[in-house]
Amino acid sequence: MTTKEAPPVLRTAAHKRRLKAPGTRNFSKPVRYLMLAALVLFSGFPLYWMLNTALSQDSELYGQAQGWWPHWERLADLGDVIGSVPIFKWLTNSMVIAGGTTLLSLIFAVLAGYALSRFKFHGKGAAGFLLFATQMLPEALLVVPIYALFASLGLLNGMGGLILANVAFTMPVSVWIIKGAIDAIPYEIEEAAAVDGCPRVTILSLVLTPLILPSIAAAAVINFFDGWNEFLLAKTFIAERDLWPASVGLASFIGQYLTSLNSVMAAALLFTLPALVFFLLVQRRIVSGLTAGSVKG
Amino acid sequence: MAKLSLRNISKRFGDTQVIHDFSADVDNGEFLVLLGASGSGKSTLLRIIAGLTDASAGDVIFDNLRVNRQSPRERDVAFVFQSYALYPHLTVRENIAFPLALDKFKAWHHIPGVSAIARRIFGSSKDIAEQVAGVSSMLELDDYANRKPGGLSGGQRQRVALARALIRNPSMFLLDEPLSNLDAKLRAELRGEIVRLHKLTGKTFVYVTHDQVEAMTMATQIVILHNGIVQQHATPQEIYTRPANTYVARFIGSPPMNLMTAAVADGYATLGGLRLPAPEGLVLRTGTVTLGLRPEHLTVSADVGRPGLAGTVRRIEDLGADTLIGVQPDPALDLKLWELNQDDLIWIRQTGQTRLMAGDQCTVSLEARMASYFDSDTGVNLASSDQISDAGMLPLRG
Ligand SMILES: Nc1ncnc2c1ncn2[C@@H]1O[C@H](COP(=O)(O)OP(=O)(O)OP(=O)(O)O)[C@@H](O)[C@H]1O
Ligand SMILES: [Mg+2]
Repeated sequence: MTTKEAPPVLRTAAHKRRLKAPGTRNFSKPVRYLMLAALVLFSGFPLYWMLNTALSQDSELYGQAQGWWPHWERLADLGDVIGSVPIFKWLTNSMVIAGGTTLLSLIFAVLAGYALSRFKFHGKGAAGFLLFATQMLPEALLVVPIYALFASLGLLNGMGGLILANVAFTMPVSVWIIKGAIDAIPYEIEEAAAVDGCPRVTILSLVLTPLILPSIAAAAVINFFDGWNEFLLAKTFIAERDLWPASVGLASFIGQYLTSLNSVMAAALLFTLPALVFFLLVQRRIVSGLTAGSVKG
Repeated sequence: MAKLSLRNISKRFGDTQVIHDFSADVDNGEFLVLLGASGSGKSTLLRIIAGLTDASAGDVIFDNLRVNRQSPRERDVAFVFQSYALYPHLTVRENIAFPLALDKFKAWHHIPGVSAIARRIFGSSKDIAEQVAGVSSMLELDDYANRKPGGLSGGQRQRVALARALIRNPSMFLLDEPLSNLDAKLRAELRGEIVRLHKLTGKTFVYVTHDQVEAMTMATQIVILHNGIVQQHATPQEIYTRPANTYVARFIGSPPMNLMTAAVADGYATLGGLRLPAPEGLVLRTGTVTLGLRPEHLTVSADVGRPGLAGTVRRIEDLGADTLIGVQPDPALDLKLWELNQDDLIWIRQTGQTRLMAGDQCTVSLEARMASYFDSDTGVNLASSDQISDAGMLPLRG
């Protein structure tokens, strides 16, 4: 920490220098773009191949090698197949389930993470550890007792019950992510807020939450994808076809005797896109370094 | 506005006792400076006053009301943290406006979405904006108003922290080394500003520092802490002229007071063959006494024949207006300089320049009536020892 202020020019220069990770080398622009292109190709190819498979002839799939280019003329046929199931209803259900899981789990996680990070109480270690009880046993083992429990509580065949069950499985990780984030925030910031007149709840909502936003975003991604992809519980708890999430609906394309690979791929593509959009929206929040400059040293 | 009383405050962290039985009364409108070396417990004491730390024992009383169990908010104090504790996600302007904005929407600030919007609105409300602008210009923060703390230097952050406290209208201001990271010019300026603000508001200030210049220039009362024990609680003048013990004598003043061991016989102290008149109203017991003389109460001359302590000039430090001269006393005098006089020299402050040079023989004469006498065992000032025991403070050897 400097005692004297550097002139602005010097300081910004130093600031920029600091922003660069030590040991990073500067590549020239073309090289950087080339590397980017390789990355895009690498991560984008599976998506492209899904599309390609969805739009290919059956003969290609089961006979000769699959071509490199999609057969766009198959789009209409595919539309018919997809149209024969309530795919958008399923996607909406998935959205509700994943969104609900994320929201509930984050609310609990912020509160629990704060308590675990800042409060002293008896059984704190045990509480933190027991959060992982659901993670220690295989989900398949827990399905049966949860089913019995939900049956008696009337929570089967509804999205509310499914969200609750999902939260139980996804929340522990979020709690620990958020506890870690709060641990890293100097306690004095909270004290300053308390002196300035914030009650504790306000400290949490007004001061801490913005500071741990990157971790909240990271936890949100994990929760959302868990909720979005969850299959076993949904398949077990929800019998009614209209209440299925897309993951269960997608699986229904796989028949016992006949599986239409193109329709599976087409539905899978539709299934992937919302999750992708969600990630793209949230990912820019996952940056670090927000607390820089708060306290000395 | 509040009168502050601290009654028998103790604080321990685990096994280490950080504050020992601290008591003080601070009248409304006083400027109390807590002065002490690093680790002496100043911050801990200030945090106990603010309600950020609970005392292990004792009472904090604001205006006859025991506030031990009240939160900082209920105590209504403004606090400048030694480590600044700025809000990293807010700009400088928002940081400063935060306490005011918070006051304005007390009712609904729990609701996350709404509170963020409300903060925006009130943060830009006209009277808040005016107050923020006033404080920022006083602290020369205008150029950084829209930056976040991450893009500020240490000194700038410290000024933001100060601004956030000064903008409020609390019952008491508690400042923990608010100027420690600033350059000399700005520090002097802000010292003036804080004193002016103190006069203007008439509020009680408790100000922590380890800088004796700040303490001497700003305080109406100084408490000197050493290892969590009060050494002296008095006005700056009193502390300078009548230090309660040798620790205070050495801590205040630069260079510090010269301490020498003098022999006492027949009620007179004798130092290097000089017989000193007995101080008024003080009976010295036969044996030894520690004699303290400020550098400005000594004079040095090249005239070797004069009465005084013979010696050799060893160091000359020209400070411009003043000159400090370090003299090594003649070994034949068998003068016992007290423990840690800098470089084992007697230091003399003289206005203007000197014609003496290092190596010159010289004579040091003393202004004996300005001398302080300390008990050579306990270090307590003999002139003020009654006063000390009355106040129930622990005498301590420096
Ligand atoms: N939370 C804590 N736990 C244990 N010991 C502590 C704690 N806080 C302070 N101390 C100890 O208490 C003593 C006084 O600390 P304090 O911060 O009050 O000193 P200070 O006078 O403010 O020093 P400085 O001038 O360096 O800020 C120190 O020895 C410190 O190690
Ligand atoms: Mg301190």
